[in-house]
Amino acid sequence: MESRIIFHIDVNSAYLSWEAAYRLQHGSPIDLREIPSIVGGDQTKRHGIVLAKSIPAKKFNIITGESIHSALQKCPNLTIVPPSYSRYMEASEAMVDMLRDYSPYIQRYSIDEVFLDYSNMRKCYMEVAHEIRERIHKELGFTVNIGISHNKLLAKIASDFKKPNMVHTLFPHEIREKMWPLPVEDLFMVGSRTKKKLNSRGIYTIGDLANTDRDYIYSWLKKPGLLIWSYANGIESSPVSNLPPPVKSVGNSSTMPFDVDNKKEAHLVLLGISEMVGMRIRDLGQRARVVSVSIKTHDFFSYSHQRKLDTPTSSTNTIYGIARKLFDEMWQGEALRQFSISLSELSSDDFFQLSLTDLINEKDEILDKTIDKLRYKFGYNSVIRSSFLHSGISPIIGGVIMEEEYPMMSSKF
Amino acid sequence: MKPIEMIAWFNEGEYPIPLRYRIKSEDMSNVVVKVDRIIFKEEEKLAGNRMFLYRCEGIINKSQKIFELKYELSTCKWYLYKI
Repeated sequence: MESRIIFHIDVNSAYLSWEAAYRLQHGSPIDLREIPSIVGGDQTKRHGIVLAKSIPAKKFNIITGESIHSALQKCPNLTIVPPSYSRYMEASEAMVDMLRDYSPYIQRYSIDEVFLDYSNMRKCYMEVAHEIRERIHKELGFTVNIGISHNKLLAKIASDFKKPNMVHTLFPHEIREKMWPLPVEDLFMVGSRTKKKLNSRGIYTIGDLANTDRDYIYSWLKKPGLLIWSYANGIESSPVSNLPPPVKSVGNSSTMPFDVDNKKEAHLVLLGISEMVGMRIRDLGQRARVVSVSIKTHDFFSYSHQRKLDTPTSSTNTIYGIARKLFDEMWQGEALRQFSISLSELSSDDFFQLSLTDLINEKDEILDKTIDKLRYKFGYNSVIRSSFLHSGISPIIGGVIMEEEYPMMSSKF
Repeated sequence: MKPIEMIAWFNEGEYPIPLRYRIKSEDMSNVVVKVDRIIFKEEEKLAGNRMFLYRCEGIINKSQKIFELKYELSTCKWYLYKI
């Protein structure tokens, strides 16, 4: 294992860099990377959060994920550009295409992060890393950080060192010097909650965690504790896999442009989301046994409800029926801004346990299949339910990109 | 950079050859520019977006000028990039 060489290639402020490169290509005199700027959702539709920021914007303490409103308070002359996901997908594709020149083992970890296995190659890995970095900069017009180590975890941490446009290594002998002094929340899988827990017992740096007794961590934090303890010691051995991890759940959510305050509209929104998740789960050839619905009120309070079914389902009508019931049971009548439906406990569509009481509605299945085919061929809005007409609510809701699968971050390598 | 009207020649080669284009001048009259010579052509794919860039020579307002045209493959649009 020691001989593996893994690269983690991470695009510096991805959305913003891609947007900047695209704009320069189209003759814009301004490089967004050199001024305080952000890529942000549409404020009028209330998707107003910071998705990516330039380095000058970072100097104003603007953080990814905060509202555009608060970002503007920190920096009134901030330039805000809307996102265009399909273009970012193109930029990401171009980068992955270029990386294929260097190794057949490439794992697309998210839209802007890629692992590449460069083990047992003839050329020196350091030279190659710099070549990749320079080629991406010159040919594609954006910058990346490359982290190099013997495993994916350390490579990922290394790419997060000083930015932009740099190559860093973090081999096991460098852990003590380069990784252990970092605050414990910089470790992969340590979120704000775990950070609080660790801090409460005097663990502030990754080194503190690594040097805590393993059995003590286990008795305190159980299995997840062992995982982060291993990570703190640089132990991780998953392969760079070309295959996407198996899907464990399918969900979509939508923030509405206006507050929904009546049942009729809320049901329509749920129906729109059911159409999307139904279509996606059928496309995966799966069925789900658990349907869960969650809602967020206009004052950002959220709650959810879920139900386990006797027979796994993939039918839009069934999903909608359950979602509506769940919604009616939990809704207290507040104005709502966000809805989501998620399906889990997935199983294959080929064989599944039938129930004596719950009959499968064959007509429904055929109808779903036919509608899916029509929509894939002629566009998502080629067939819609008439209840959506003049409702102001989209008949199929959810997803950033409608045309293609969009690789999202996962908590697993 | 705005899209322009263009007459181009698509032969069996890999890329189209710009012949003449039309732009609106400051007094809103149309000006037609003939592309006399392509000095060089290169392909770029900034942010993954493929474009052909042509540096060309032609006569504008009775004087010979150098300008750069761009052809965007994904939209099939021509642009006057630099003049």
